[in-house]
Amino acid sequence: MNIDTAEALSLDENSEVSFSQLLVLSGLSDNDLRELVDHGALTPINPNASSWMFTSYCVVVARKASRLSRDFELDAHAVSVLLGFVEKIEALESELHALRAGALGHGLAGTSDTVSR
Amino acid sequence: MKYKDYYKILGVARDASADDIKKAYRKLARKYHPDVSKEKNAEESFKEVSEAYETLRDPEKRAAFDQLGSHAAGQEFRPPPDWSQHFASGSPFDQMGQNAFDDIDLADLLAGLTGRARGRSGGRAGAREGPIPGPDYEAMVRITLEQAFHGTEIDLDLSVAEYDERGVAHRVPHRIKVRIPKGVIDGQKLRVPGKGGKGMQGASPGDLYLDIQVQPHPLFRTSGQDLYVDLPLAPWEAVLGTSVELPTLAGAVSLKVPASTRAGQQLRLAGRGLSRPGGKSGDLFAIVAIVVPTVVNERERSLYRELSESSNFDPRAHFKLGAAA
Repeated sequence: MNIDTAEALSLDENSEVSFSQLLVLSGLSDNDLRELVDHGALTPINPNASSWMFTSYCVVVARKASRLSRDFELDAHAVSVLLGFVEKIEALESELHALRAGALGHGLAGTSDTVSR
Repeated sequence: MKYKDYYKILGVARDASADDIKKAYRKLARKYHPDVSKEKNAEESFKEVSEAYETLRDPEKRAAFDQLGSHAAGQEFRPPPDWSQHFASGSPFDQMGQNAFDDIDLADLLAGLTGRARGRSGGRAGAREGPIPGPDYEAMVRITLEQAFHGTEIDLDLSVAEYDERGVAHRVPHRIKVRIPKGVIDGQKLRVPGKGGKGMQGASPGDLYLDIQVQPHPLFRTSGQDLYVDLPLAPWEAVLGTSVELPTLAGAVSLKVPASTRAGQQLRLAGRGLSRPGGKSGDLFAIVAIVVPTVVNERERSLYRELSESSNFDPRAHFKLGAAA
């Protein structure tokens, strides 16, 4: 039996979702989502517009906020603070990963482009 | 239906107070919540803890659970003969024969008692009346770096809840084929629209969310879309320059190493990293390491000695500057 192949869509900075799409995908209420924006946990691409748009990576953040709120019984302010810490940890882990990969160099040596075929 | 001992999962006695249950849950949530925990199998452990709390915090569900009796964890069991009549009246499980519980999940059973289905976003409950969107599913997907580079198709085997005409959830195996785009990185999240659980009463299905894990590669390391590989060079290659065959994920390429290349120097091969969606690819960096032979013959030793006597190169000149300061 043929099984259709479904496309997986990246949730990242390269695609956008609307406020109403974010509501549906996160399971948050309108009020909760607006509070997360107010507290700085989510940032619209166009904060001054009447209809906010977000990068699709915000779906990841909003779903995380929804889980944290539900599972730890927290209000929007507490969730925003917690998300801030989680973001900081993720940034540090990313930097550590880059260091281990060699991305941050050895200080004395430079980087040169090289032609290859 | 498999038994889960929710009291044991939370580490509380069967006569624990609501307060004790809440405290126990909070402690375990802090330990196992996948967004804040680094414990192994945190996601699976938290799912159990969460299910236990959802049942034991609700007096009605707790009473129904208690009357199922006490069994060994994982043991197949059926509710007592009159259990449905007392606890499932008015719910989809009302009047069900005992053997009809065989493919029911315990958590789905208890969630269904209050007429609430487990909905979107990992279990947010909604009233049974009216359309109910299907639940979202989440799966971790492990791929190789080669699969991340080229893109790939994967088969996912999920155990999903399908509702019969009475609204009773039955766990059935479900296979989904998914195309992963090229250029995904470790930790990236993907969404597969409409491949979650079926909605009820005309509501839309949920989505499938994938958490990508890229397995470590024996040669290449990653940082975002950039790749890094160690490039060992012999001392004479670094001093005189050379051309080396360098592996890449798209096949080997010839790399020109300039004369006087230093240890730690990063030679950049532009665009040879992972694809970026809608943009140019990341780069591949060859990080130079100068390695010396551990065994040399007499002629080599003699040549090295001649070099050391004729060269003015002092790799530790800065030590003297530091000492003089």
